Amino acid sequence: MSTPITRRQLVERGAAGLTLLSLPGLLAACGGSSGGGGGELADVLRFSNWPLYIDYDEKAKTHPTLDQFTAKTGIKVEYFEDINSNAEYFGKIQRPLSQGQSIDRDIIVLTDNERFLGLMIDKGWVEELDKDLIPNFTNLIDAQKSPPFDPDRKYSLPWQSGMTGIAWNEKITGPVTTVTQLFEDPKLKGKVTALNGMGDTPGLVMLDNGDDPSNVTDETWNAAVERIQSAVDSGQIRRFTGNDYAQPLSQGDLAAAIAWSGDIYQLLSSNPSLKWALPTKGGIIWTDNMIIPTGGSVPTASTYMNFVYDPKIAAQITAYVAYVPPVSGTQAVLQKSDPELAKSQLVFPSDEVLAKTHQYDSAALNNQDYIEQWQRVLGA
Amino acid sequence: MSFLHRHKGLTPYLLLLPGILWLALFFVAPLGFLGYQSLQSGTFDTGYTFDWAFSNYWNAISDYHEQFVRSFVYAGIATILALLVSYPLVYWIAFRAGRWKNVFLILIVAPLFVTYLVRTLAWLNILADEGPVVGFLRDIHVLGPDGRLLATSVAVVAGITYNFLPFMALPVYVSLEQIDARLLEAAEDLYASKRQAFLHVTLPLSAPGIVAGTLLTFIPAAGDFINAQLLGTPRQYMVGNVIQSKFLDVLDYPSAAALSFILMALILVGLLAYARAVGTERLTG
Amino acid sequence: MRWVKRHLLPAYAFLAFCYLLLPIAVVILFSFNAPSGRYNYVWEGFTLDNWIHWDAPSGIQSAVVKSLEIGVVSTVCATVLGTLLALAIVRHRFRGRGATNMLIFLPMSTPEIVLGASLLTLFLNRQIVTGFGTIFIAHVMFIVSYVVVTVKARLIDFDRHLEEAAMDLGANEWVTFRKVTLPLLAPAILSAALLGFALSIDDFVITYFVSGPTQTFPLFVWGAARVAVPPQVNVVASAIFMVAVLVMIGNVLWGLRARRARESMPAAVPIPEALPRPEPI
Repeated sequence: MSTPITRRQLVERGAAGLTLLSLPGLLAACGGSSGGGGGELADVLRFSNWPLYIDYDEKAKTHPTLDQFTAKTGIKVEYFEDINSNAEYFGKIQRPLSQGQSIDRDIIVLTDNERFLGLMIDKGWVEELDKDLIPNFTNLIDAQKSPPFDPDRKYSLPWQSGMTGIAWNEKITGPVTTVTQLFEDPKLKGKVTALNGMGDTPGLVMLDNGDDPSNVTDETWNAAVERIQSAVDSGQIRRFTGNDYAQPLSQGDLAAAIAWSGDIYQLLSSNPSLKWALPTKGGIIWTDNMIIPTGGSVPTASTYMNFVYDPKIAAQITAYVAYVPPVSGTQAVLQKSDPELAKSQLVFPSDEVLAKTHQYDSAALNNQDYIEQWQRVLGA
Repeated sequence: MSFLHRHKGLTPYLLLLPGILWLALFFVAPLGFLGYQSLQSGTFDTGYTFDWAFSNYWNAISDYHEQFVRSFVYAGIATILALLVSYPLVYWIAFRAGRWKNVFLILIVAPLFVTYLVRTLAWLNILADEGPVVGFLRDIHVLGPDGRLLATSVAVVAGITYNFLPFMALPVYVSLEQIDARLLEAAEDLYASKRQAFLHVTLPLSAPGIVAGTLLTFIPAAGDFINAQLLGTPRQYMVGNVIQSKFLDVLDYPSAAALSFILMALILVGLLAYARAVGTERLTG
Repeated sequence: MRWVKRHLLPAYAFLAFCYLLLPIAVVILFSFNAPSGRYNYVWEGFTLDNWIHWDAPSGIQSAVVKSLEIGVVSTVCATVLGTLLALAIVRHRFRGRGATNMLIFLPMSTPEIVLGASLLTLFLNRQIVTGFGTIFIAHVMFIVSYVVVTVKARLIDFDRHLEEAAMDLGANEWVTFRKVTLPLLAPAILSAALLGFALSIDDFVITYFVSGPTQTFPLFVWGAARVAVPPQVNVVASAIFMVAVLVMIGNVLWGLRARRARESMPAAVPIPEALPRPEPI
């Protein structure tokens, strides 16, 4: 038997060595491997999206349109519902992207009324779409053809649009139709929430002030922020939320909230007394866009985008998600399969309603002073 | 003979090496980087440069002193509440529970095994405006007819207390359990009343546990942000919320780093003062 | 009055336990709920469906698996590192012992948010991509201190007479370590490992900062809390809870049995602890 001390020493060294060795190994294995960026169609599409934003079959526990995509093209889809907030998601992916590394995704979905979508495109952390593979591009509705952050639609395609307005619980309060009512009606005190999005709440307040949110100036910004701040200070606004206004609103903890159109539609099944409307002075319209991050496979992503721009597929997704589809012809398809939905102003707003919606100024989203001011209002 | 026999003195260093290396690389070094980052200036868009920006610290204090104070107040109240709630409980377990001591201990620790977030979310359910607890409190007029518990500092402090209670209970239990029953018998023999026995024997002997429990509760509580986020409003936000937002939402790393450092420094100062008052061995064991 | 006084403390204890266990009861109860809509806050009916189809929400299964994987790997690593550290600190005198003690104690006294934030800063600066590997690193880092404290407590009370006896009987250091020290230390190491595993599974704050795109179960819950928490989250949380409680009860019962076995053994071999310490001459 060799000297026992040597064996003990070996064990200790081995343990230490193992842990040290495994370290870079783990990092290499689990760090970002450069994806299939380039000209070839991959076998797998890696798609990150927001939760509850694609059709879902409760019984079969699958996403029917994704299965149909696989059946048609042979490409499997790895679907991740890991985007909960533009800021948080961006914070996670910005480091590898800034070094030109892939984040192992072919498509991600970011919102245009927060600065991160524009930031991704400006910094060049996105791949150009292959329009040759997207003949259905012509189905894009006119209103979306040339957004300020991507005038030639080289890098992005809308996934769904939505409107920001006011939701209220009929059992607790009568209709809440203006921001003034929301912020100042004493009956609603402490039972109101506002969205934490810089493009949402200030946008609505600006409209209520009679200002134009698509053209933000220091005056209009300060006026809006002041009103919001006093509503916070007076205790009128309970707190700021992302999607998490939905449960308290449903539960009866809230009387009204600044809310997104599609959420309310989905909530109606559990609480039919919820209502949503654009404020009388107007609301905000925003769009979630699909982009291909650096390292994503352009042909695979483009093929998928073409697939969802087929009105029949868009109809299936919209039927579940109940947001505003960017694909023309969707309404016609739904008139046959789900006429109730086809009539809904939430999903297919009439031109009258659309006229009252505005897009938020994307330059203002990147203004550092505004950002810091807004964070202060949010309480952090 | 073997290497180690000749270099007997090396054994401790070899034992220490892997662990210390890990801590040096992944605890000490990161703090160094944090300090470095806290002295940088710039924004996410334009990039950061190191330029001894002590102004970050000054700005952090002037902008967020309210949140700092609030964090320490909330953590302090929660710690005291945790002590008050758990002391009689663990006293009962240590002295009166007999054979079932360990079972009850498990029950105290049990909440820790439900994911932190899930058990905090359960409170959202329990304290809902239209729920039984608030309803009861309204009935007995503790709350006004429109009163609520959620989205108030009461809920936040209650959440913090609840989540960290086992960390207070366990050390206190350990020190109570180690008290030799004969000491209490002796006190009784010397004509001490039950109350005197408690105040002069039990309580002082349980002091090490109280010290440990206070630290294990206060420190994590001061840096918490989840309770404030889920159960409170921006007016209850603590330093943790600010740091989280600056790091992950606003992407203002230098400010976030400065805030983190100030938080750590304040806690360390408090720790040192506490250690001076109660003796270092009790802390590090 | 005496009756009240006598029963005041147990009554309080009962109420305190109710308070402690109420949220857990709510969590477990609602794992059996059958909500009609997205939200699981109103009781609508009993169902076992959530338990059968616990992996229905997309992402929950991979999150749970990730949590378990990280838990096992980081616990093993941290337990090894921590035990070695504890052995060094308790049994050896060396320069810097006080400083080492301090170094090990510091992570426990640093708020998690600072630990997470500083690690993220390190990774950002050194351009290390965050993911499984970084979560592993972070977890080992903060678990090690707890392992050291747990094992150290046992080591301090450790009766070295048994080891001395073994060596007197001809065993060398390594064999003694393997056959006497380790087995006696095993319960403490096991406790430390269980504690470490529990800390890893439940960790949110540190993981939140360093996880990048990887999702563990607590991160999944955080994401779900932004929208709607499916009952399956309650299912997983309840399952983890029940397993943990069972393990702890098992631990206690095992300890009781071992003690009873020892007590029933004939005292043929005098146990060193029972011997009175010899008076110093």
